[in-house]
Amino acid sequence: MAETATREFLHNLHELPHTVKDACFRLGKEPESEREESHATFHNLFLHIHSVRVHLRTLKPTLTFGLGLMATASFIITIITGVLLMVYYKPSTDLAYQSIKDIHFTVSTGRFIRNIHRWSAQLMVLAVLLHMARVFFTASYKKPREFNWLVGLGLLVMTLALSFTGYLLPWDQLAYWAITIGSNIANSPREMTDAIGITKFFDPGGLQKRLLLGANYVGQDALIRFYVLHVFVLPLALVTLLGVHFWRIRKDGGLAKPEDPMGGLAEWGGERRPVFQPLATKTYGLMALVKGKRPPVNRGPENTVMSWPHLFWAELSVLMVTVAVTLVLSFYYDAPLKELANAAIPENPAKAPWYFLGIQELVSYSAFTGGLLIPVIVVVGLALIPFLDRRPGGEGTWFGSSHERAVFWQSLFFACAVTVGMLAFTVNYGWLRNWFPNIHQLWIIAINPGSLLVLIFAAWSLFILKRKDSVRLSAVSLFTCFLVGFTLLTYFATVHRGPNWHFYWWPSQWPVH
Amino acid sequence: MKDPSRIYRWLLLVASVVTIVYLVGAAVRENYLAQWRTVQQEYRSILREKATDDRGRELLAKFRVEMKQASIPALGTVDRCVTCHNGIDDPRMTDVPQPHRAHPGHILDKHPVDRFGCTVCHHGQGAALTFNEAKAEDVFWDYPLLPSELTESTCVACHDAEKLPPDQIPLLVTGMKLYQEKSCGSCHKLGGRGGTLGPALDNEGAKTKHQLIMTNLRPPHTMWNWQNAHFRDPGGVVPDSQMRNPTVTRREALALTAYMLSQWKRDVPESYLAPDKIEQKYRALHPLPLTGEQVYKQYCTACHGNGSYTRWDKKFNRFIPAIRGVSLIATATSEYFQSNIEQGRPGTQMPAWGPHAGGLLPEEITGVIEYLRSGAGGSGAPAAPAMTALTLRGDANKGLSLFLRNCAGCHGMNGRGGLAPEIGNPVFQRAATDEFIIRTIRNGRIGTAMPAFQRDEAPAFSDRDIADVLAHLRTLGEPKGQKAMAQNAILGTPPGGKP
Repeated sequence: MAETATREFLHNLHELPHTVKDACFRLGKEPESEREESHATFHNLFLHIHSVRVHLRTLKPTLTFGLGLMATASFIITIITGVLLMVYYKPSTDLAYQSIKDIHFTVSTGRFIRNIHRWSAQLMVLAVLLHMARVFFTASYKKPREFNWLVGLGLLVMTLALSFTGYLLPWDQLAYWAITIGSNIANSPREMTDAIGITKFFDPGGLQKRLLLGANYVGQDALIRFYVLHVFVLPLALVTLLGVHFWRIRKDGGLAKPEDPMGGLAEWGGERRPVFQPLATKTYGLMALVKGKRPPVNRGPENTVMSWPHLFWAELSVLMVTVAVTLVLSFYYDAPLKELANAAIPENPAKAPWYFLGIQELVSYSAFTGGLLIPVIVVVGLALIPFLDRRPGGEGTWFGSSHERAVFWQSLFFACAVTVGMLAFTVNYGWLRNWFPNIHQLWIIAINPGSLLVLIFAAWSLFILKRKDSVRLSAVSLFTCFLVGFTLLTYFATVHRGPNWHFYWWPSQWPVH
Repeated sequence: MKDPSRIYRWLLLVASVVTIVYLVGAAVRENYLAQWRTVQQEYRSILREKATDDRGRELLAKFRVEMKQASIPALGTVDRCVTCHNGIDDPRMTDVPQPHRAHPGHILDKHPVDRFGCTVCHHGQGAALTFNEAKAEDVFWDYPLLPSELTESTCVACHDAEKLPPDQIPLLVTGMKLYQEKSCGSCHKLGGRGGTLGPALDNEGAKTKHQLIMTNLRPPHTMWNWQNAHFRDPGGVVPDSQMRNPTVTRREALALTAYMLSQWKRDVPESYLAPDKIEQKYRALHPLPLTGEQVYKQYCTACHGNGSYTRWDKKFNRFIPAIRGVSLIATATSEYFQSNIEQGRPGTQMPAWGPHAGGLLPEEITGVIEYLRSGAGGSGAPAAPAMTALTLRGDANKGLSLFLRNCAGCHGMNGRGGLAPEIGNPVFQRAATDEFIIRTIRNGRIGTAMPAFQRDEAPAFSDRDIADVLAHLRTLGEPKGQKAMAQNAILGTPPGGKP
């Protein structure tokens, strides 16, 4: 007996490499049949959120350009590099700057890691914005995806918050003054409360600013708040929301796509194939599990392929492209690090991070309108889109419904002309305060280039609504105006605003300090 | 059927190759191609050449190619300069090229690198590991590496400049002397003493390039380059600068630059201070008064010159009185001088010099008044001769017409000054006794445009006229607003605060 147990033990020991391998890689080989491929997908925690089969349209690169995945990939990169940076970073006003310098100079490849963190964060903001535009122009927010559009909006806000909170941590001049500007934007409701004289009793702006900074100035309290938000609260919240976002994609039936044609023969990867015909005696209802027309009964042909390996090749390639782009950027361009923060030496111009520069430009007209009113209008407006435009059609196709492309181009030119004209007018002729120096501030809060832009854009979309008799086209015109306004204002404030927020053609013309 | 994921596999291949290439590239660049590794390998071969005795062989055996640093928590610095300057404290390294050479002089004997580091004296970015970033002129760093001739300006962080051997700090010595000779204190405060026309200079050395106007300066845009150019031509560097051109030679400009760089209220731990520096700090609490002449030369000359003539200053559009003129000295009492010096002339460019304003001690003000008196005509001041008392009560209205005809041309309507002193000035009104004014009107001021109105041979004014004018003059000080403003100007200046 003892002898067999020993033999068994020795045998197990001998087989150990194989048994461990079999336990870890349960299939044990490359999947050969579609059955094994589906096995590979849904028996894996990380892959099982995908459906086993994926529609061919989903794999078309020009449908999504992989933007959502790119945002996710850059988020993963920032998480990994962020953890590495956390090992060396010290969130104290006395030590933070020196610790970044040490990361830059002495930590092995520390500079490279910090560059990657910085560039992938920038890439993430960009990808999230473009992803939103893609979802809008392919009408992918329509039923049943309204909720996921809202989740996506939450993710956008969180991405901006993550990037913004990270901005302060190096504790250099750039960080200090960008956050000073940012916190003053948070303080902007005060312009309104001051104008109507109730700041003493009701001061939401001051409250917002103090909540953000923990003090009336950017100091140690602000630094530790931003640190906690940046490394713990926001990433956790974002990961949670991201899980919901992915889960909803699956539950809403994958990426939005037009209905497959009914019956007969149809194209399928360049071949014509007969459509799947259901048996009258069988029930195919799985609708309770997944929304949408599943399984594709009476429709077809089944334009799907196995997720393993096709979808995973696609996802992996987007991930690696993001990594490669980030690495190349990080190799050649160092993340900025200016002098140690110094409250006595204001940066001039002090600029917020680039994605807030459009808002900063609006704030330069009126703090309340630009810093609170317009951002709230924009976010609320974006959130309402899927609930105001409810007519199905055009899902999963770029400019899917009729006239969309035309309206897009018209709105693009219209918004460009209006925005450039407004900026040129403001730069050349000033605004109400220059013409009527003693005018009440309420007039400026109400009538300024920012509020006028919003009104003109709104009027334009109402005009489209009437003229084209389509809510979708009206939404397209408004969203295009928003994109153009955001892009042009951001560009204008980045390139053409210099010291004291004066206009300059190029930064090289700024007076040297 | 075409393989739907073919394009992705190609993309994956390309992206993966790029990723691997750049990862390996970054690892090699950051770890093996670092500048300092080459430098240390060179240094090792120098060590090998010089390893002729036991000590040399021991140093060679101990040498490792690795990042080196002097970390000085007390000073808050981490200086990695020694990563490349390996031979900095090796006396044998005098004939080798930089960066291997030993530190010149014997400074390191008393200032070992492991206790002081490098940047406390030389500035620059000590944490950096490349020369360009350590020099830090073109990178974001507040205090770039000082040029070698200006390094002496940092000695005073721990030493009393007056106790250091003058040959060690030649520029500073000249700079200090020039600061007094050029009477910079007339306009600038330093250590709580000085005028208020220019900015205080107490922390001038701590300024970074971002606090200075660099528009008109040829690069490099460093703080000392600005100072140097500014001393040569203030208006050329700062448009609309009110500073008088100090007319200095190149070397003198450099000396003043060094002196300005040394003005830095740095927070150095007590244990690093030389005993004489601690004494200097205590001395500053109980300063020894300067002589009258020293005070005059340091704090008055820039505007009043030698004090024996009046002049019209075109640049500032102001009148400068001869404060050592014969007749003023003969007429004015010491109290008159004292209140004018202590309280200044509010509204004019004459600041207050009392202990809480310009920082002069009471003894020094007494001293400078004596000095003013000593200079009149080269001999001691003649005692004011007794004067026939004027007991008439004047009529201010009559005085007004006399004033307009005879006085307002120079003294201005309402006595607001112009080509002549502001006699409506509240401090003048308070300080000047009736006797002083009467005597001045009667006798005039020799050597100035002020004529005598009652010469024996041709009296222009009768005693009654003088009484009338005096009565009018006394109304000039009345307007309330002006008075209140003047009060503020005197009382509102906190000791050592912003003027």
